[in-house]
Amino acid sequence: MAKIEQDIMTPPAEISEKAVIKKSSYAKNRAFYVYTLGSALLLGVVLFSIILFIGKTGLQVFNDVSPMEFFFSFTWDPYAEKYGAAVFILGTLSLTALTLVFAAPISLALAIFTVEVAPDWLKRILRPLLDLLVGIPSIVYGYLGLTILVPFIRSATGALVGDGLLAAAIVLTLMVLPTITRISDDAIAAVPTELREASYAMGSTRLQTIFRVILPAASPGILTAIILGMARAIGETMAVVMVIGNTAQLPTDLYTPTAVLTTTIVNQIIDVEFGSAWNNALYMMAFLLLIISTIMILVIRRIRTKGA
Amino acid sequence: MNLMKRVSTLTLAAVVSVGFTFGATSANAASATGKVVVAGSTALLPLTSQGAKEFKKSNPKVSVSVSGSSSIAGPQSVSKGSATIGACDWDATKAVPGFNAFKGLTAYKVAVIPFATIVHTSNKVKNLSTSQLQGIFSGKITNWKQVGGKDAAIVVVNRKTGSGTRVNYQAKALKGKSFMTKGNYKEVGKSGEMTTAVGSNPNAIGYVDLAYVKGSIKALSYNGVAATTTNVKSKKYPVYGVGYFLTKGPAKGANAAFISYIQSSKFQNGSLKKLKFLPYRGF
Repeated sequence: MAKIEQDIMTPPAEISEKAVIKKSSYAKNRAFYVYTLGSALLLGVVLFSIILFIGKTGLQVFNDVSPMEFFFSFTWDPYAEKYGAAVFILGTLSLTALTLVFAAPISLALAIFTVEVAPDWLKRILRPLLDLLVGIPSIVYGYLGLTILVPFIRSATGALVGDGLLAAAIVLTLMVLPTITRISDDAIAAVPTELREASYAMGSTRLQTIFRVILPAASPGILTAIILGMARAIGETMAVVMVIGNTAQLPTDLYTPTAVLTTTIVNQIIDVEFGSAWNNALYMMAFLLLIISTIMILVIRRIRTKGA
Repeated sequence: MNLMKRVSTLTLAAVVSVGFTFGATSANAASATGKVVVAGSTALLPLTSQGAKEFKKSNPKVSVSVSGSSSIAGPQSVSKGSATIGACDWDATKAVPGFNAFKGLTAYKVAVIPFATIVHTSNKVKNLSTSQLQGIFSGKITNWKQVGGKDAAIVVVNRKTGSGTRVNYQAKALKGKSFMTKGNYKEVGKSGEMTTAVGSNPNAIGYVDLAYVKGSIKALSYNGVAATTTNVKSKKYPVYGVGYFLTKGPAKGANAAFISYIQSSKFQNGSLKKLKFLPYRGF
């Protein structure tokens, strides 16, 4: 009887002790939950307000300028109330495309080399080296471009000015190279060893293994890497503004001065009065960049879900 | 649990130290005369930063921060309240072509800024006339051969709109003639970028205030008159502007002290002259 009583009596005591521990840790968990949720919400609210503000301010430009003129006119002359952003939109798209053409093959080759070909000691040097490249401030890239690359382009092509899409694309290539390479590197390294072994077991050469097995298997990751690189190229400002020439004209070749969305914004935003059509036009250009990067992020998400 | 404790201790430490820092700063500010924030003209920047350096020596408790982007940013930052003094190469309380007058600002003359047409040191051309400059900057004269140089196309480097150097150069050197907008033409944001752009291209032409002329750029004569402070003083060389400091209403406290230091004859006849500016008195 006593034993039974003890059996009955003991468990509640244990439970109550556990409950005490649970209660205090529950409060902590709850606090932590509220704190993290609050941070996430704060970020969400800030981001949403930024988008709302840029969008709202930007769209006001259409009170003064017709969308037709804004998107398709090549005349940007704020003092004559002409706000045609087509030069900058085309400039941004072609600069990004050119950067893609330069950067993607080199970065991919570098990534394949790092994972598949390079010996271990070289890998240990290459990866930190690429990380270091990311850390160099973009203004330094721009200055090097202005003082070394542009004169070089001038003497190599016989161009007069030398500033332009080519110089900007080369500078940008150097800047996005680490981004694309490191993410592709991770994607390629994540391809299961079994696939390589199976491929070699069937008698494939290293080249066949890389191009027929590893690259297709890693392709969602590589695509993500390229898009992330392009997103950086589209938004990059400081380096580009120093080598693009900042002239609102359609370039006839790759080394004639022109301008892109980001450089026009950075050059003019501090000089315009808030609330003017000029100011709104610049905000609209910023909104365009925001839309472009949002589309890129959506594409990445799509690729990721497909890959998984 | 341990981690939570550590995190919370760390947070507390951070909060306390931040609190102390701010508390200390505000205590300092209360005993000092205040702060001066100068924004605007890059043409005036060599002068303002030198002035700030000297002013801080005699007024160690006043915080002076100086930045330069373009002249129009000066009165605009003052109107918005992000700066206490706006440096501008023209009197922004009056309208100039392209820019409206700013209301509610007080303008103080601080210096005369001589502007020079600049080319690369390897360029043979030494002198250009008004009409030659008008031709070059409007894109009608496109080869150095046409103005006595070697056979090479001219690259025109301009400052972006909003620049006071551009406003003054267009009014004084080009007599109001408009600039080209396409072709062998590029725009730069600041005076420093102008010197880099012209200094790195043997066929480039541009303009900048005299304080920046050194290294691989040289100043051209204008209608046969050399770009020197002496020629500006004797009114032979007409390409100059007057630099202004603008404040919201009349300047008070530290800002008034800073402006009167810049206007003092000690500074006007000392550092200001060394930097190839001219005292504003008499202009």
